[in-house]
Amino acid sequence: MNHFLIGFAISSLFRRGAKSFFTIFIFTSLIFLLSSILFISNSIKEELFITLKSLPQITVQKLQAGRHTNIEISKIDKLLKLNGVQSAIPRIWGYYYFEKAGVNFSIVGIDSFDKQYKKSFEAIVKDVDFDELYKNNSMIVGEGVDKVLRENYYQGVFNFIKPDGELKKIKIASTFKSATALESNDIILMPKDLVLEIFGMNKNEVTDIVLEIANPEEIPTIAKKIKNLFPDSKVITNSDLRVSYQNIFDYKSGMFLALFIISAFTFFMIVYDKASGLSSEEKREIGILKALGWKIDDVLKAKFYEAFVVSFISFLVGVMLALFFVYTLQAPLLKDIFIGYSRLKPVFDLPFAFDFQTLFLLFFLTIPIYIAAIIIPSWRVASMNADEVMR
Amino acid sequence: MFLTPEIIAIYILDIIFLVFASFAFIISIMIVKKWDINSTSELQYSLEKRAILVATIIKYIFILKLPLFIFFVFTADKISGVITGAMCAAGVVNSISFGLWLFVFKILNLFIFGFWIALHVKDMQDEKLSFTKLKFSIFIVAFVLLVVEIFYEISFFSSLDVDKIVSCCGTLFSVASSSSFSLIFNIPNNVIITTFYLIFALLVFFSFLKKELPFLVINVIFFIVSLLSLILFFGTYIYELPTHHCPYCFLQREYYYVGYLLYITLFIGTFSGISGSILRMLRADYKKIFYKTSLIFNSLYVAIVTAYPIIFYIKNGVWL
Repeated sequence: MNHFLIGFAISSLFRRGAKSFFTIFIFTSLIFLLSSILFISNSIKEELFITLKSLPQITVQKLQAGRHTNIEISKIDKLLKLNGVQSAIPRIWGYYYFEKAGVNFSIVGIDSFDKQYKKSFEAIVKDVDFDELYKNNSMIVGEGVDKVLRENYYQGVFNFIKPDGELKKIKIASTFKSATALESNDIILMPKDLVLEIFGMNKNEVTDIVLEIANPEEIPTIAKKIKNLFPDSKVITNSDLRVSYQNIFDYKSGMFLALFIISAFTFFMIVYDKASGLSSEEKREIGILKALGWKIDDVLKAKFYEAFVVSFISFLVGVMLALFFVYTLQAPLLKDIFIGYSRLKPVFDLPFAFDFQTLFLLFFLTIPIYIAAIIIPSWRVASMNADEVMR
Repeated sequence: MFLTPEIIAIYILDIIFLVFASFAFIISIMIVKKWDINSTSELQYSLEKRAILVATIIKYIFILKLPLFIFFVFTADKISGVITGAMCAAGVVNSISFGLWLFVFKILNLFIFGFWIALHVKDMQDEKLSFTKLKFSIFIVAFVLLVVEIFYEISFFSSLDVDKIVSCCGTLFSVASSSSFSLIFNIPNNVIITTFYLIFALLVFFSFLKKELPFLVINVIFFIVSLLSLILFFGTYIYELPTHHCPYCFLQREYYYVGYLLYITLFIGTFSGISGSILRMLRADYKKIFYKTSLIFNSLYVAIVTAYPIIFYIKNGVWL
């Protein structure tokens, strides 16, 4: 390390201010874009993993002709007999498509005597008397649902269309707000019997059954037993969910990266071109240096220090900007790539998630490409003959 | 096959390496064939310039390969969360038949590229550039190994199967396993520990004696014995579990990433010993500092692995 050489490199960057600024600008925006995408995907993954902890350990569904259908409520007794199963809760839920607004509501049936499989529901059930709701034909809706209904002139009441075409008028008793907006914005809670009526379901059927397992280590074994007991069932454990979440987000950021390769390659070409097209001024400079006794290695070193300074500044500024953009501004525009399309898109904050692996990844995706682009041009420049360029 | 950002990054770098190394390979062949330091021809002049390009490319590859190796292990660790049955990098690496070979080639290439750079530095200090032909011949071999490694790596990631159930490290590194690992478990603990400390004592002895050839040989043996003893004996104390022999799990957060420290110190220690000895055998005026570097890092490694059983004994009053 020769600090004079570093000083020389920095001052030569300043001497060609416009050119170096241009390179730094492009490089910074590339790094910014890439790191924003990775930060957003990390952050949403984090949010989902938090939600995952509150999700049931095992969900049992019934498959018929390869599709998910309703499961008989009588299976609960057999499931409870399996060793290690702490509780089995039947769930009744589904989606109701509200055509006028083009949105899907998630309707969840609640029975106040049942144990609630979600903490967030427990608090609501405690405050509200669902028997009363059943008598009055009313429901509790999430904030997002309430807003959509208001926009469509439904004040305090909504007409559900039953499968046989009849209308079912349900009053809105109250609205609720939950901690994680991602899961509760489109939810409607109502007594189980009302849900059965709206969906036209059989009394002795439920949508699926969720199990609570006393010892998490036993989950895979119990899942296997259930599969043997009911061969027509689909058993989903919470680790299956975790794996598929990770796959989805890796795939999404992977797709983005595949597109990013094109822009990275373009960047490579620009840098290559910039580095090989020298002005006569620069050529003369190198000629003088070599006449003064600089070796090829020295000129190369100075060039690499320049590249190092450029990439270091760009990396730092790009990552800082991305941190600000994602966590302070909540990543406008870019967030939509990951959340997907839905009219009832919930508003939620990206939790702060940052690890060194991502930094490592960013480093490997950007800086080597830049350095690779300047190797051959710098060598060409450095190995020019002094007499030739000074002539 | 799957498309995680980490794998794409590794692919991109592999392709860059391949392109640049191919350039360097062609130039190397020309240099090996036509190099003549006494000639004043145009050709020799341009070859001398190109030699610098090749050296730059190799430095670039090596400097990136070092952190990339750690990144590779990190990636394999991350993927283990997705692959059924795998709990750490061991399961992922062994889910493909040539996974272990990929590792062997990676380590071998690190040694060779590192040695190449050491040789290059020595060569540049020499007025007659007397190692130039030698170093470019070495690069031709190294290039072939690099291509094999890259080929393995790309086919490794593209043939990973998410749905296939693999063995976890607990079964791979155990006596009952049918893999080639199980053979080494026939070595009794006291034999491997005695050998390990004996070899280390010899290493210290030769480093003070400053004899190159025995020092070289002892470093190679030390590298192998260290890995064996780590799997057989010291690993169990890191995990505080007599049945767990995995050489990958201690790279994870639960063990404070101690594996990276262990492998890096072992690599620096044995690498400087091996490359220094070879260089000194080539030229007698090579500085003897490498004996010290090698000794310091190898001792550091020994100190860390020794600390684990001793701390365990102090805490619990029994051996595992």
